[in-house]
Parts: sequence; structure tokens; C-alpha cells
Amino acid sequence: AFSLPSASVLSGVLQLMNRVQVEPVGRWFEAFLKRRIRNVSASFQELEEEEELSEEEEDEELQLEEYPMLKTLDPKDWKNQDHYAVLGLAHLRYKATQKQIKAAHKAMVLKHHPDKRKAAGEQIVKGDNDYFTCITKAIEILSDPVKRRAFDSVDPIFDNAVPSKAEGKENFFEVFAPVFERNARWSTKKQIPNLGSMESSFEEVDNFYSFWYNFDSWREFSYLDEEEKEKAECRDERRWIEKQNRASRAQRKKEEMNRIRTLVDTAYSCDPRIKKFKEDEKARKELEKKARAEAKKKDQEEKERARQAELEAARLAREKEEEEAKQAAQLAKKEKEAQKKAIKKERQKLRTTCKNCNYFVDTEAESVKMMEDVEKLCDRLELISLQNLNEGLASGNKEQSRAAIEKQVQEVNAQLQREREAEVKAQQAARSLDQSSTGTGGGKGWSEEDVQLLIKAVNLFPAGTNARWEVIANYMNLHSNSGIKRTAKDVINKAKTLQKLDPHQKDEVNKKAFEKFKKEHAAAPSSVDNVVPSERFDGSSGDSNSAPWTTEEQKLLEQALKTYPVSTPERWDKIAATVPGRTKKDCMKRYKELVEMIKAKKAAQEQVAAKSKK
Amino acid sequence: MAAIGVHFGYTCACVAVFKDGRADVVANDAGDRVTPAVVAYRDTEQIVGIAAKQGRIRNAANTVVKVKQILGRRYDDPEAQTHIEESKCTIVNKGDLPMYELDTGETTKYVSPGEVAKLIFHKMKETAQSALGSDVKDAVITVPFEFGEMQKNALRNAAEGAGFNVLRLIHEPSAALLAYGIGQESPSGKSHALVYKLGGTSLSVTALEVNSGMYRVLSTHTDHSTGGESFTHALAQHLAAEFKKLYKHDVSSNPRAMMKLMNSADVAKHTLSTLSSANCFVDSLYDGMDFECNVSRARFELICSNLFNKSIQPIKNLLQQVKLSTSDVNKVVLSGGSARIPKLQQMIRDLFPDVELLCSIPPDEVIPVGAAMQAGILVGKESLVLGEDSITVDCCASDILVKEVDESGADIFTVLFPSGTPLPARRQHTLQGPGSLASVCLELFQAQKPLAQIVLRDLEPKEEMHDILTVLTMKRDGSLHVTCTEQCSGRSEAVTIATAAAAS
Repeated sequence: AFSLPSASVLSGVLQLMNRVQVEPVGRWFEAFLKRRIRNVSASFQELEEEEELSEEEEDEELQLEEYPMLKTLDPKDWKNQDHYAVLGLAHLRYKATQKQIKAAHKAMVLKHHPDKRKAAGEQIVKGDNDYFTCITKAIEILSDPVKRRAFDSVDPIFDNAVPSKAEGKENFFEVFAPVFERNARWSTKKQIPNLGSMESSFEEVDNFYSFWYNFDSWREFSYLDEEEKEKAECRDERRWIEKQNRASRAQRKKEEMNRIRTLVDTAYSCDPRIKKFKEDEKARKELEKKARAEAKKKDQEEKERARQAELEAARLAREKEEEEAKQAAQLAKKEKEAQKKAIKKERQKLRTTCKNCNYFVDTEAESVKMMEDVEKLCDRLELISLQNLNEGLASGNKEQSRAAIEKQVQEVNAQLQREREAEVKAQQAARSLDQSSTGTGGGKGWSEEDVQLLIKAVNLFPAGTNARWEVIANYMNLHSNSGIKRTAKDVINKAKTLQKLDPHQKDEVNKKAFEKFKKEHAAAPSSVDNVVPSERFDGSSGDSNSAPWTTEEQKLLEQALKTYPVSTPERWDKIAATVPGRTKKDCMKRYKELVEMIKAKKAAQEQVAAKSKK
Repeated sequence: MAAIGVHFGYTCACVAVFKDGRADVVANDAGDRVTPAVVAYRDTEQIVGIAAKQGRIRNAANTVVKVKQILGRRYDDPEAQTHIEESKCTIVNKGDLPMYELDTGETTKYVSPGEVAKLIFHKMKETAQSALGSDVKDAVITVPFEFGEMQKNALRNAAEGAGFNVLRLIHEPSAALLAYGIGQESPSGKSHALVYKLGGTSLSVTALEVNSGMYRVLSTHTDHSTGGESFTHALAQHLAAEFKKLYKHDVSSNPRAMMKLMNSADVAKHTLSTLSSANCFVDSLYDGMDFECNVSRARFELICSNLFNKSIQPIKNLLQQVKLSTSDVNKVVLSGGSARIPKLQQMIRDLFPDVELLCSIPPDEVIPVGAAMQAGILVGKESLVLGEDSITVDCCASDILVKEVDESGADIFTVLFPSGTPLPARRQHTLQGPGSLASVCLELFQAQKPLAQIVLRDLEPKEEMHDILTVLTMKRDGSLHVTCTEQCSGRSEAVTIATAAAAS
């Protein structure tokens, strides 16, 4: 039926493939997509399936080892039997899978079930005493993961031995590798580091020991419980049993932990690698230390050198500076001296010229005045203007010289006058500021007398008087010598501010009035006359004692003013020292006030005098 | 792991749950397996489902219907404009996107179509959760084939806004095929399927090719003017005419009366799908007058004969377009609520006399069931992220056949790789020859042209027949690898055929 060509022939080529859009639906699409994403061929999945199959086959080929003592086992002593051996899994033990255990059990049942044996003509022991019960027990234990773990924990063939140090010292790896391998099965963690070899790196070794020092074991000893909870008859007994069991389990667990600990400790102390690492570390540290010491030494030397150089530089700079400063000072001094000399010379010249010319005047009295003026000039004039003046004097005749000097004197006087005026103005400004801040002044200045007058008037026309404030105002206008016209409103304002003042202040005002009265009558203005208001006053009194002056203080101040005349150096300091509780500023302020008062009084007197002359 | 499939249609939404290897539609809190996709906005609450649909007579301006028509469309989109014209709600243009303007008590509320869709999805989620008794997130959602990227995104966002984890968006026709498990048992072979969907407002016919268990849409046709509502409307018009005949009152200009008639006609239409006659009764339809009328199935079919023709015509056009005859189609799947109409089923059956009509699953539940099945496939898998909703695969261009000779000596061609088989693919073929033969030749053809001959020689003569296993693997680059093995002796012969591009 088949044609028979000699060999395989390719008689054509495949057409180019197409590209189509498919719907993303269905399990075949998913399978296709998965293949495409994982980039594997179609056969891959088939391979996977085959693998799964082969695994299953392996399970079926389970080798069972016959347990020779099986038939002699006593079911009552099931706790001491080796369950794995009973099921024929002695070679697999804890590695046996659940599937294998099931399969083994099935095989055992098929072989050893009493019914089967009976059929084979064997003698069967009645009841639970048959060895088949052991098989049932074994599967009961091994099929339950909890019970199986308990049994695994006390696996009778497990070697708990820990090698001694002496053994470990000789050939460390041969002795310890199997021990660690054996004990690794208790680990709850799956990744178990290897003991490694002599060539292992530090990290590996470190990892190994940290794993074993923090070993987390699932081993537990409930299988060895002496009392069975289930056998208890009542709750109390059960509790007691539980307690007993717990204690013994904890004890065993502790022992187990100790065992592992001892094992790791022994291994650690014997490990030749650890020794090597320690030595290496030591050598390294020593080397480091050495290097550090050297570096430090070097560093220090370097520093010292730098410091020396710095000091040297600083010293040189300082010397140079000093030299320069000295030179500059000398130069300045010389200049100053020259200037002083010149000014002295000029002054001398002026004086001598004036003296030579007999002060360009004839009378003795005039010459005295001229002399004073010249002195003033000498004091006030600058070097250059003095020179100019002297030149003028030298060149001109007597008349011209005199005129020049007078002109100069006038200028100086005018200047002095200007200064003084400016001062007075400043004072007045300060005072008005003061007054406006206390609010006692209002628009028109209220002198002490006026205030006194007001108080008097207010007392004279008590409350209830018809048009009282008009009357008071009129009275004030009639009797006041300040010449200020006051309206009823002003008067009310002032009276109110006065009322606001505390009684102490009122007293003060009264007292002052009395003092003034006394002074007027005593007519002792001498202490005032010799006072020239050339001192500068600071209007603001930040830290001064603003309390009113008491009579004692006032007296002390007046006394001090008399004892320390204007010419006294640091006059105000001394005055302030004599008045306790008052600062220099306070004293100056008070003095200023007094001066004003006196001035006002004088002006009033003059007015009165002028009036009376008329 | 439970997963759900959601079908979000123009008129109705439906949810199916995949559990324990089965996909099933779950009923909502009203006991209906299909929830009307209607949302009514009230002063303080939003109502989704049948209650909203029934309340529409009184609250038409604040009841959103057919939100899918406008979802993910721009305001000036012609489809959106049609919807805006038909809708009883006010729709305003907000930044080129349509927004429903709803009057909720004292304030006017602006709601985007996406938010309406979100509410419906939320309702579906609640339905699935109450049926499962646990939280469910993973869902496959169906979209019409003609949906654009923007609409798909809008739908996906709405579903995600309702708390779904959208595993995938799949096309409605594919979901329908999957619901019947077409091509899912065995991945070999090639067949054609037709999905006929007559929904509430739209008709869509899709031709698909099933190859190696994968679906490919050949062509599709959608008609938004024909749907279940057209039938209801026709019936309602008939009822209005009857009423006019009886009471001399024209109700067609009264929107409220028409809406009542529509509801009644809807019920009657559903009844007629199972019974041969239905009774319509409307309380105080017009001016306090009640209306009662009996409609027979024959009457209904007569009224809608035009519509039936209009519904069937697209099938013929589509088959012409993809150059398939009615006999080339192996399966016809009916979906959409209106595909229940007996007359329509009869007409389709007449059109495909040799083809099995698949309608064992209720037609309105086919698509969600398919979606749920897809969800069941996808859930629990490592996420295979798909950028697009259909994926391009390589496939072989033409049929690969093997020639055999039967007992009578005639040549038999067996198709191993039908054209369009996604690559890579592998097929096995077993030949049998008389044991007396010493050599066997295997002939491969592409389309009708010979492609290769593989000869196995020096076979040991024996009593039984020679079993020759041929494994053909077509790789993704299009090359074909053929291995022939004689089963008994293990003698084998291998050949690799490169593609035209690689060979030239």
C-alpha cells in the first residue's frame, strides 16, 4: 500500500506562517500564554507530567525490611517497641514520608492480619495479646504527626553522645561532622549550615556557630511521660499527671539543650579554625596597633613642627607691628608737641603783642577787660585763626589791631552766645516734653505760683459756689502774675490733675510754696547767682529716683551746691554723694528745676517792679 | 477560591459565581437572576435594579437607563448623541464628557456615567457576596467586541471603583463559547462557531474560529437598532392601537401611559416565550380607564415578523462576509434574553439545519457563566498581565496533511495541523501497515501540494501490523520537525522542514 522511494525526500517548503489575534479565553489559551511567557517548548509540560509519574512509581517500589523480632513482640510493652522497625521502615526512620508509612502499613496488614494468618493455618492468640496489635499501635503513632514527632524525638537508635575535647582535638572534622549532621535533624529551620572544612571562610564558620548557638530544636519528650493523662479518673488527678509530665518534659528538654550546648561549646573550643582566626585576629590587631602608634607619633611630630613654625611667624609679625606702632606713636607725639608748641607760641605772641601795645587801650579798667578777652581768645581760638590774628596784628597798626581783636572777641562771644542759646533751647524742649508727659502743663504753663493760687482759689470758693470755675478763673486772672489768661476749662483741668496727684505730692507742693515764700522774704539769691547754667543736662531720666524731694534732701542739696562751687571738678558727683538716695542725674534735674523756679520768680519780681515804676 | 464573572449589559447586568468547578448565576436580593441596569436617584439614596425600573414611571428624569451606551464616550460621539436624545434624563457637557444632571431634592447633582456603572457593579458585587457568604474581589468582566479602548478603560475603572479586582476583560462572544466549553476538551482540531446575541437594545452576530482550544473572531456585526425593546415597543404599539379601538383614546402621545404599556408589553412578551397566549392588564391606563387585552403568540409573531427578519438577516450577511456556508458552522450559540423567543430560535434552526443550536443555558446567563469560568481559570494563578484584550499569536498558514491509504486503496488525507493552528504545536499520528512490509513511506502535504516524504526502511517483517508513531512538532518560527518511530523495533527517522523564508 505504500510507495517506496529510496530515502526521505523534501519535496516542498512550508509556507510562511500567519499572525492572528486570538481571544484571551479558555484554559488552552492560558496554557499557551504560560508557555510563551516561560519560553519553553510544547514538550516541556509533557516532561513535567512524566516526572510526576515517575515519582509515583518510586513510591510504589517501597522496600520493606522484615523485622525479625516482630512475632515475639509484646503488645503491652508497645511503648518500648521501635515503630519504624515494626512497619519495616527501619532503614528510613524519620525520613519516611507519610505515603510510605501508609503503604508499609498496608503491606503489613495484608501479611500479618490475624484473619490472613488464620487462613494460612497459624495459631492466633486471642484478644489484644496478638503481635498484630503492635502494628496497629505503630501506625497509630506514626500516622499522627504530633505523636510521630514525639516518637522521633526519643528515637531509640539516635546517638546522643557528645565527643569529648580530647577526641575532638585530634581530628576535629572527622569526629564532629557526623555528630552535627546527626543532631541537625532536630532543627526547626530547614537551612542548616555545614561544618565545612579547614578552608572555610570566617563568615561560614561564624554562621555555623551562630546557628548552633541559637539552635531551635523541635525535640520534645512527651513520649517518655510516665503517667498517661488518659488514664486519670478525675480532673484533679489529670491535672496532677499533667503537672508531673510537664516537669519531667521540661527537665528533659533542659538536658537536651544542655547537651547541644556542650556539643557546640566543645566543638568551638576544639575547632582549629577558630584558633586560627583568633591568632589571625590577634596578629592583625597587633599590626594595627603598631601602625596606629606610628601614625600617632608621626602626627604628633608633624603637629609640633607646625606649631613651632606658627609661633615663629606670630612672633615676627608681632615685632613688626610693635615697631610700626612705636614709630607711629612717636610721629604723632612729635606732631602734637609741635602743634602745642606752635599754639603756645602763638598765644604767647598774641599776649605779648597785646601787652606790648598795652592792649590797645588807655585806661586800666579797659585793659583788664581786654586782657580777659585776649585770654578768652587764647582759650577758644584754633591754631590757624590765632596765626591769622597774629599776622594781622603784626602787619597792622594799633587801631587796626584793636579792631581785629575786638572783632575776633565778638565772634567768639557770638559763638558762645549761640552755644548757650542752643543749650537753653534744648533744655526747654526737654522740659516741655517733661511737662506734656506728666500732663500738668496743659496748653499754658502752670508755674508753681499759679498752682498755689489755684489751690487757694479752689479753697476760697468751695464746691457749690455759683459758677464756681468761672469765678476761680477770674480770680486767677486777677491775681496771677504770669500774665496768662486762663479760662474756666483750663482751671478745671488743672484742678482735676491736681486732685489726681497723691496727697503726698500735694503736701510737697504746699511745702515748696512755703519754702519759696520763706526764700523770697529772706532774699538770699546769692547761692543762685554764682551758678552759671553751663552744664549740660540729660532730659531723660531712665534710672533716676522719680520720688519727690523731701525737705531734708532739699536742704542737703542746697548745702552741697554751696560747698562745691561751679569750678569744682566733678562737682555733680560730689553733690550727689552728699544727698543720700539720689543720683547725680537726679540732683542735676532738681537743680535745674530750682533754677527755673528762681528765674521765674525773678521775672515776676521785675514785672512787679516795672509796674510799680509806672 | 471563588471568582465571579460579571456581564454588564445595556439593559441588564448579571453575575455568575465560579465555585467548586462549576459556574452558576446567582440571584439578587429580589430573587431575580438578572438585575436591570437601571439606577434611580432619589433625595438621599440611589436605587439599583428592579425597584428603580418599576419606579421609572414616576421618576423618569432621575432614572438612568442604558448607561453602557454612553460609558467611556465623549460628549460629541454620535453614539452618545443618540443616547442623549433618547434619554429622559438631562445630560450636560462637562469638559467634553457627558454628565447626568439629576435633581435630588433641593440640589442638582452631576453624575458621570462611570459613577452610575460603579453603582451597578457594586450591586453585582453585593449579590455575589450574599450568595457566597464571603468577600469576593476577583472578577472577569465581559465587554462587547466593538468596545474601544476608552470604553474598556471606563468599564474597568468603574468595576475597580466598586471594589473588584478585574482579572481580565473578555469579549462577550468568547465568553458565550466558553460557557459551553467549546474546544476546551481537546486542543486539536478546528471548527467554526457562531454566536448570536439578541440583547435588550442591540443585536450582535459573531463568527469565531476555534483552533487548538483557542478562539479567534473572524468577523462580527452589531446592530444597535434591533433588540428586545424593539419587540416590546412593537407590542406596546399594538396594545395602544387596541386601546384606541376600544375606547377611542389615543395614548401614544401620553408618555406615562406609554411607559405603563411598555411595562405590560414586556411582561406579556416574556410570558409568550413559554405560553401560547398572554394577558395584558393595565390599571387606569388613561383617564382612569383600565385596559385588558389578550395577546396570542401567533399575534405577537405576526406583529413582529418584520423584526424577526431584520434579526435574522445579519447572520446571512456575516456568513457571506467570512465566506462560510451554513454547513461550515459547527456550533451556534444563542445568548441575550431575547434569544428565548421561540420563533427566533425556530428561524435560526431553519437557517442551520444540520447544526446543533446551543441554548441549554438560559440565553441571558450564557455570557456571565462564561466569564465566571474564565475567572475560575484565572483565579489563584500567578498574574499573567495582558496588555491588550486579545493577543497576537503565530499560527501556521495552511493545512498540513498526511496521506494514508485505506483498505480499499483510496487516498485518505488526514489534517494534522489545520491552518491557523497557534504555534508552537505538537501532534501525534499513528499509522498502521501490514507486518510484511520492509519499508514504510510517510507523505506530508501542505494544502494540496506535497511537502515531504519520510521513509522508514529495513523493518523486520512480522505477523502483526506495524505501528508507526509520527510526532510532528511545529515550532514558533514555523519550521516543522517530524519523527517517525516504529513502535516494536524502535527504529526511527527524523526530518526538519524549514519555512520558505528560512529556506530561501
